[in-house]
Amino acid sequence: MTRLREALDGIAAEAPLVDLADVAVAGHRRRRRATAVLAAVATVAVVGAASVAVTLPWQRADRTATPQRVDTVADLPDGAVGPIAYAFQTPCKTQSNPLRIDCGTVEWRVVTRSGRTYRVPQALVSTAKDYSVPVAISRDGRMLVYYSRQAQAHVVRDLVGGTQVTSPVTVKEERIGVGSMLALSDDGRYVIFDPREGSKDPGVLIDVRTGRHRPVDGKYEVVSIKGGVAELVRYVKTDLWQMPVAGGGRPVRFDGRFIMFSEIAPDGRTVAAFEFPDHTKRRLTVLDAKTGRTLRKVPMRGLPSGRDGAVTGTALWTSGREVVVVYGTKDDVRTYAVNIDTGKARQVARYPAGGKAQQLVLPGVASQ
Amino acid sequence: MDRHDDFREFVLARQQGLMRTAYLLTGDAHLAEDLLQSVLIKVARRWSKLSGDGSPEAYTRKALVNQYISWKRRPQPEVLSADLPEHGTCHDDAALQRIMLRQALAKLAPRQRAVIVLRFWEDLTEAQTAEALGCAPGTVKSQAHRALARLRALAPELAYLLNDPEIVEVAR
Repeated sequence: MTRLREALDGIAAEAPLVDLADVAVAGHRRRRRATAVLAAVATVAVVGAASVAVTLPWQRADRTATPQRVDTVADLPDGAVGPIAYAFQTPCKTQSNPLRIDCGTVEWRVVTRSGRTYRVPQALVSTAKDYSVPVAISRDGRMLVYYSRQAQAHVVRDLVGGTQVTSPVTVKEERIGVGSMLALSDDGRYVIFDPREGSKDPGVLIDVRTGRHRPVDGKYEVVSIKGGVAELVRYVKTDLWQMPVAGGGRPVRFDGRFIMFSEIAPDGRTVAAFEFPDHTKRRLTVLDAKTGRTLRKVPMRGLPSGRDGAVTGTALWTSGREVVVVYGTKDDVRTYAVNIDTGKARQVARYPAGGKAQQLVLPGVASQ
Repeated sequence: MDRHDDFREFVLARQQGLMRTAYLLTGDAHLAEDLLQSVLIKVARRWSKLSGDGSPEAYTRKALVNQYISWKRRPQPEVLSADLPEHGTCHDDAALQRIMLRQALAKLAPRQRAVIVLRFWEDLTEAQTAEALGCAPGTVKSQAHRALARLRALAPELAYLLNDPEIVEVAR
């Protein structure tokens, strides 16, 4: 055996154990069904068009166009699909003349890191009162949490391990209000549900394994759950509370008003945010979450110029010195890693928006 | 008896070996699993023909390499990771060597990486590697030569791995 082969063997030995036989058979059957459905739809369309053309050509003008929905996006299967890069809602369909917006077909979808898209029909999109229902993704893309109408509870899916846990804590659908929020811990064990952003209605921190739950002060909004600590922000004042999932901790007040908080940096104390109401000035503020002090204000360089886009939030830290800033335009959403010392921004990823996707959800970011 | 039983048997017997190949090609456990899964679905579709021909493994390996090269051609947005770079961890020499080799492999062109895996880990002949990659044996030779030269340039510390007579012979 050559030394190169020995070294390659060492790397190959790190490959995880897999059991793909049933997954591959199921995938094959699903694709075959999709192909059969497509073929059937195509046949019906061809036969239908031919009959109309041959027998009733004069009636064409009177026919009402019935859009055929040929959707080949597969449902999220029960097993493992790999970590996801983002989730989004399909947009409402707009019909002109007469103008009609149909949001009945809106659904949650997830996109894996390898680029595959799946529908998540189990995830409720909006309540009976038409309030939007969020999903959330763990920081590493492994876990997905959504609200199931059938279970009247949150469901956490491990997309790498292929397992699923339904929260033992029932949350009635009527409890989901305007701008409800959801956040998920890396291990999928803890979920924070805030029924209504900006209200004093308390949220709840749920341990989906044991069913234990504790209220979260309604004056605070969740930013993230990381390393067993929930990051909660009370706006206007502005206070930041690093609350351990077991409870405790106390808020720290900042000198000034800030919005769009990032998660806590890897050093466990730095956080990035934007000063309010100057948040449109593209100046990131780096704060010390232990003392409340402003460490520095960093003008960002390298974001797109022009007025058709804006910074819409912050996300994860890519290193101890770079935090991700989310920038949205009408056509897409881009993420930039911004160096907190120099302000230099480099584009990290680009996501669909506008007519292709809405309600983009990124890993590790509390969503609403 | 399910008509997929033969296919299941094949996957059960070979999936771990194929997973290792996929892992060496991609360098990422999740991507490797995705890659292998998507290839096995294709294999399941053609199973009746492949099992008749008696060469499902060769077909699967070829599909694995081609699918990997095809994925690498697509634009790769940087993926945000929750994992921070590790610092201050002690590694033994073999672990350090693996880390360096893994980093150097990640910088090779997809075909070069595939040649390294197929020729020097799977121990395929030039002809078999050419068959898997869908190219001429001469191309395999030149790709192997370039890949090894690039590995030497990227990680001079690993030069001793590449100096075994069998490898020098292949690269000549």
